[in-house]
Amino acid sequence: MRSLALLVLAAAVGEAAALGAAPARAPAAASLRPAREDAEEAVAVAVAVALPRSADPAAVEAAGDEAHGDASSHHQHGGGYKIVQWEWSYVQTPYIIAIWILVASVAKILFHFSQRVTTVVPESCLLILLGLVLGGVVLIASKKQLYQLDPGLFFLFLLPTIVGDAGYFMPSRLFFDNLGAILMYAVVGTLWNAFCTGFCLYGMKLAGVIDEKVEGGMMEFLLFGALISAVDPVAVLAVFEEVHVNETLFIIVFGESLLNDAVTVVLYKVYISFVEVGPGNVQTADYFKGVASFLIVSIGGTMVGLIFAVILAFITRFTKRVRIIEPLFVFLLVYLAYLTAELFSLSAILSMTFCGIGTKKYVEANISQKSRTTVKYTMKTLASIAETIIFIFLGISAVDKSKWAWDTGLISCTLIFIFVFRALGVVGQTWVLNWFRLVPLEKIDQVVMSYGGLRGAVAFALVVLLDGKQVKAKDYFVATTIVVVFFTVMFQGLTIKPLVKWLKVPRSTNRKPTLNEEIHERAFDHILAAVEDIAGLNGYHHWRDKWEQFDKNYLSKLLMRKSVYHKGELWEVYQKINIRDAISVIDQGGNVLTSARLSLPSMASRTSFSDVTNVTSYLRENGSGVCLDLQVIDPVSGGKLEEETETHHLLTGNLYKPRRRYHAHYSRHFMTMGDKERQDREVFQRNMRSRLESFKSTRYKGKTRHKKERSQKKARLSLSALVPIDPVVAPLESEEEKSEDEPEKDDDVGITFVANKNDLPKESPKERPKSVCQSPAVIPPSPTCAEKHLPWKGGGGTLPVCVSMETTKIIPIDLQQAWNQSISSLESLASPPAPAEPQHPRVRTLGRVEAAARGGNGASAGAKGTGGGGGSGLAQSSQFQFPSEEDESTQTLQEQETQPLMSSVRPPPPPPPSSSSQVTGRRPPSFNRNPCVYLRSLVAAPPAGSEPRSRGPTQL
Amino acid sequence: MGNKQTVFTAQQLDAYQDSNPQPMAVPWSRLFHRYRDLAPQLVPLDYTSKPDVKLPYELIGSMPELKDNPFRQRIAEVFSEDGEGNMTLDDFLDMFSVLSEMAPRDLKAYYAFKIYDFNNDDYICKADLEKTLNKLTRSELTAEEVRMVCEKVMDEADLDNDGRLSLEDFQHMIIRAPDFLRCSMHHIHLTSGTSYHCKRLCAASPGQMWAS
Repeated sequence: MRSLALLVLAAAVGEAAALGAAPARAPAAASLRPAREDAEEAVAVAVAVALPRSADPAAVEAAGDEAHGDASSHHQHGGGYKIVQWEWSYVQTPYIIAIWILVASVAKILFHFSQRVTTVVPESCLLILLGLVLGGVVLIASKKQLYQLDPGLFFLFLLPTIVGDAGYFMPSRLFFDNLGAILMYAVVGTLWNAFCTGFCLYGMKLAGVIDEKVEGGMMEFLLFGALISAVDPVAVLAVFEEVHVNETLFIIVFGESLLNDAVTVVLYKVYISFVEVGPGNVQTADYFKGVASFLIVSIGGTMVGLIFAVILAFITRFTKRVRIIEPLFVFLLVYLAYLTAELFSLSAILSMTFCGIGTKKYVEANISQKSRTTVKYTMKTLASIAETIIFIFLGISAVDKSKWAWDTGLISCTLIFIFVFRALGVVGQTWVLNWFRLVPLEKIDQVVMSYGGLRGAVAFALVVLLDGKQVKAKDYFVATTIVVVFFTVMFQGLTIKPLVKWLKVPRSTNRKPTLNEEIHERAFDHILAAVEDIAGLNGYHHWRDKWEQFDKNYLSKLLMRKSVYHKGELWEVYQKINIRDAISVIDQGGNVLTSARLSLPSMASRTSFSDVTNVTSYLRENGSGVCLDLQVIDPVSGGKLEEETETHHLLTGNLYKPRRRYHAHYSRHFMTMGDKERQDREVFQRNMRSRLESFKSTRYKGKTRHKKERSQKKARLSLSALVPIDPVVAPLESEEEKSEDEPEKDDDVGITFVANKNDLPKESPKERPKSVCQSPAVIPPSPTCAEKHLPWKGGGGTLPVCVSMETTKIIPIDLQQAWNQSISSLESLASPPAPAEPQHPRVRTLGRVEAAARGGNGASAGAKGTGGGGGSGLAQSSQFQFPSEEDESTQTLQEQETQPLMSSVRPPPPPPPSSSSQVTGRRPPSFNRNPCVYLRSLVAAPPAGSEPRSRGPTQL
Repeated sequence: MGNKQTVFTAQQLDAYQDSNPQPMAVPWSRLFHRYRDLAPQLVPLDYTSKPDVKLPYELIGSMPELKDNPFRQRIAEVFSEDGEGNMTLDDFLDMFSVLSEMAPRDLKAYYAFKIYDFNNDDYICKADLEKTLNKLTRSELTAEEVRMVCEKVMDEADLDNDGRLSLEDFQHMIIRAPDFLRCSMHHIHLTSGTSYHCKRLCAASPGQMWAS
């Protein structure tokens, strides 16, 4: 906080200096010198002011020295060439803007350090408070408030970002479903609020409650009523987002706050013109003009928005070859819609909102996945920053002596009136609306709606825009507006959460549904969809049917690309990422979307797997796009729970959605997946699953008896096969981690122990490539001995991870080839020909174990399997007497295979650096979870061609 | 459908709009026209003489919108009086009444239960569940997975441990899940007449459950 204040202080003082300097500089070059000195002095002052506050005196001293040095050198050389120049006025504007954005962002980070504070206090309150503090600092530093929420800045830059985001990501279905109510509240409600507040305030003035100093006739008070009565989208969003009320309630209040813009604009303009001409000169015709103006402003704004929506959609249809500027078009045209509406003094908010709503469908279909993500994130970032800045500046603006024209009567009356009339208006309109609404708005909803009528920056900006000469009481109005805004945002914002809780308003919950609910709800959705279809009630608005027809027949054809996803593009993507074979494994179903999203590993995992399970978050961080089965591995241990989660996963992966299920929610800070995405993911998962099923069937050929027990055992087997990779992979990470990894590894995985013990005496397996036949000396201890140490032999509970029985599906033997190819291509891309990864034998082993298992009986199977691999495996396996039971045999076989590998871990020489640069690059330094290893091992499958060599790296 | 001439007799209208203060609402006539649209050759426009007309299931099941719906046949079966999916106008209207927002939750639950109860034995047994699940997943799960899920579901909801879900079990489950079935049918607006049909259906269904 302190450093923030300092930063702002420095900027403020710097600007003060520049302000002083600017006029001096202007006339001629000769006057440049005093101005410069002036600036330097100012800097010195700034340093002096900052000094006592600074936590780091040395830095300030250095800064001071620099200023001094600059000054002295300046004096010595006169007008000669200066090595270091102070160019504050040159960078001033962008510098200050950047500093402010930085301050706002850092403030956000700081707030979110403390979870407890942010859950109780809305962020907007904190930001306003911070603004107050910063404003105080600036005021103390420069004796004058330099910053305030400039209406121009607000209306031209800050508001559009927020409205654009809101419009573009507006849950349109929900919005249009409630359009009637929204319009009612926005138009009638705002008019009612404006008139009543204005008249009553004037009445209070006449009654003498409001001080005489507040000069103004009826028109002034009506004007004030108009600007103070509009619910503010920024404040509503900021507060409601954290309250999580149900969607209908949210969309009604939010939609109202957006759509009332037209009313506010018109009222504001009409009253201003009335004030200008004087109330006596207003003719009846003017009132009608006002009404006409309202119609033009609102409808015109909407039309402008829709026109730009069409243009935007049409443009994005042709951006196939210039994908990179797609997001730019989206931003530009949406912004242009806003500006154009402003240009014609139409309702800019309406224009932008409808542009966003209208264009989204087509744009999303036209632009690429990457562009979509870019648009999404950029919009959210901009909106978030704009909102932060708005609130901070609201706070700062309040700390300004010139605005403190306090009149208790006016302020208290305004507060009471806006609250009372809001409540009355809501109740009255709801009463009317409930005649038509199928789902009536309950009492509780009405309470929340009236309480959620927050005023914000729009009102403030409008009141600041007033002309002080014509509206004599401007200062009082400004002060009142600030108080009202602060009261609504801070007091109501703080209390609305407890209120909602206390009233038990149905909230949008994140409760995990039970299995029953999940199934039955889905089934019921289908049933309802069917019934709706039978009835032909595709939504109850008749015009919606018509619209959809029109959309399908004409608009979509005009505005959407013929084929959004081309096969050629697909293959481009494949090659670029160089995991085409891996993709083809997953994507043999031929779903284009699936592969497109797979091919962007980091992005896909970031956007599509937003479940908050540990594994997925892990994957998100690591960007592993090649995990074949995300669902299966869940680090939550504990029998029942685990199975339950798994079942849930199973269901979510497979239940497909009815056509018309939609889930709409708008959030500034958290991105929910769109319907489309979710659908994609579903398809993706279903595809995956079917693939995996087919893997399974190939692997379990001829094994139907005791399927469950067997598959569970197999899970363990494959786990055991994979666990030892851990130490092998770990050293590959990077050299500097190696030293600390070595000791830790032993705790990580139990099997390392075994490997160490077994392999300590023997070194020769490393020489395997040279000596094809192993000497008897390298015979490992007997399997039973090893088994004693194997952790999983003790009992299922000691498994280091819980791996479901489906784990075994991961890599089928017959797809090894594909993997190998893909990885080799990956390798050739990522690094020059390098020694193959040491873990190669391991994965092969997995395959061989399967082969062995398939072979049917013990010893011969083992011999066969290892014989394929060649080398020590053959020698070793021939030494053992396998138990006759098949699982045992594979188990022991497994273990032997492990040993040469394990021994390779021990030697100190550093691992091949090349391999660390590719797939394993993003791993965190230490990891305890085996699933990662497991996944990693999938990714790092070896090249097929290098089979003889791949034996080599075990010796390193 | 522009003609506004009387289509229903006064009694019929009264019955359909029983105890509803609102004037004749559009959706009813819309539903009727929809019904008629499905088979204009079968359904007469004039319903005053109570013709005995049934819409064969093939007509409903072959609607393009329903092509993907796994429950189309089941719905038709449950709501049709003959149990084979052939619907009369009353059946047709019943269907919407039950699934509209006005219908009490218990009634919805009862019909949902009936829909799930494929073999009509008044219990949801494992076979029913498996059938539901297979419909929902388009038979993409293996038999084993289906079995596992069914076991879980049974575990969760079967209170009396008889290995099948009775209507009570089902209702209990729904009560535990507050949002379930509540906001169903967003788009079906049946303002008038629904109450009548609800009453009719309440009477038809096991009375003691929804006596209130």
